Amino acid sequence: MAGGLRFAGSSWRSWRGKWPLLFLLVALSFVRWTKGAGFVDLYSLLIRPFWPGSAQREWIQTGIQVEQQARLILLEQDNQRLRDMLSLNGGSNSGLISAAVISRKSSGWWQQLDLGQGLLAGVEEGDAVIGPGGLLGVIDSVTPTTARVRLLTAPGSRIGVWIARTKTHGILLGTGTNRPQLRFLDKAPDLQPGDLVSTSPASTLMPPNLPIGVIQTLDSKALPLPTGRVQLLASPEAIDWVQVQKL
Amino acid sequence: MGSGSETLKEKNRRKIFFLATALLVPLVSLLSPSWLTISGVGPCWAVLWLLPWAIEEGPMSGFIAALCLSLILDGLVLNGPSYFPALTPLGWWFGRLGLKAPPIERSFNLGLLAVIGTAFSGSILWLQQLLFEQNTFNLLFNSWALHTFLAELIITGLLAPFLCSVMILLKRGSVFSIDRRF
Repeated sequence: MAGGLRFAGSSWRSWRGKWPLLFLLVALSFVRWTKGAGFVDLYSLLIRPFWPGSAQREWIQTGIQVEQQARLILLEQDNQRLRDMLSLNGGSNSGLISAAVISRKSSGWWQQLDLGQGLLAGVEEGDAVIGPGGLLGVIDSVTPTTARVRLLTAPGSRIGVWIARTKTHGILLGTGTNRPQLRFLDKAPDLQPGDLVSTSPASTLMPPNLPIGVIQTLDSKALPLPTGRVQLLASPEAIDWVQVQKL
Repeated sequence: MGSGSETLKEKNRRKIFFLATALLVPLVSLLSPSWLTISGVGPCWAVLWLLPWAIEEGPMSGFIAALCLSLILDGLVLNGPSYFPALTPLGWWFGRLGLKAPPIERSFNLGLLAVIGTAFSGSILWLQQLLFEQNTFNLLFNSWALHTFLAELIITGLLAPFLCSVMILLKRGSVFSIDRRF
């Protein structure tokens, strides 16, 4: 009995000096259990001044962009090969002509752009004009050194469009406002706001698959056929250079 | 006699100079400076030039000038509506007003005439849009046309008192003696 007490007393005394060790073990167990909480956070805080700078981030982003561009070129080549096999209009970038916007009337009775390239550069009536974002309009008239573009928003502008998600055809009508009207050819097109509108992949009048805009509103009760409004992707008010794409 | 021929020469010189300023109309129409627009709609430059010219030169000169201007301006815009039916009656009417005494030279009168002229020209262009775009007849009665009509009216009305007054003084050769006149 006395021996047992002695044992217990000596045991207590022997562990009394070792509580820091126990605390450390508990703390490390906590680190292990939480997969490094606190420890990694402290490490992160300490090395924050040595984190990779913005230059390295840009370098990585540039690398990603180069990779994506390379993938895009390969996919376009593949697409072109398949289109050639199907005898469809080409969608390659080989026929692009860069042109400066020398006059701009994006509001008013006429909605047009005048470009600083014309017949001499190979621009022809009916060519598509593309800006950052997508299709802006169609070449309406050409002089030797200039070309006039009828914007998609201009009254009288009419182009056939394609909604890829539902494989639906429609006609985009310019009505003077910033948002042209979309007229569908089907009674129940099953579309929803946010659907991408592009040129038809099988079009013979326009280069295929050019993005145009997204459907903003739909009026499914309109007669005789449903209509919608399209928010254009390219903004003619803010573009100084465009590209003319030949068929 | 010598003094009379000198005056005639001076008049002709001013007339040619005034006529040369007509070249500015297509130029500024193409340039379309954004700081002289209301929501992207610029003034009716043709009316701003035609008004002082027709007032000073009479109805026939006004009509011919309007015809020439409309031919140039129609060449600078998309096919469809034309300036011809909008400007030629204006040129004639402004010229008729200019024949009547007393001469129109007050800024308010010039501004008011420019507003009336722009309203007429805008209405004719709007009507032509409706006639040419039959498929979108209903669509054209929307906010866009009204917005264009009103914006053009306001900016032209704001610029006309200053620009037309200066051009009339220029035509009369008294542009450098404004301070003496007032």
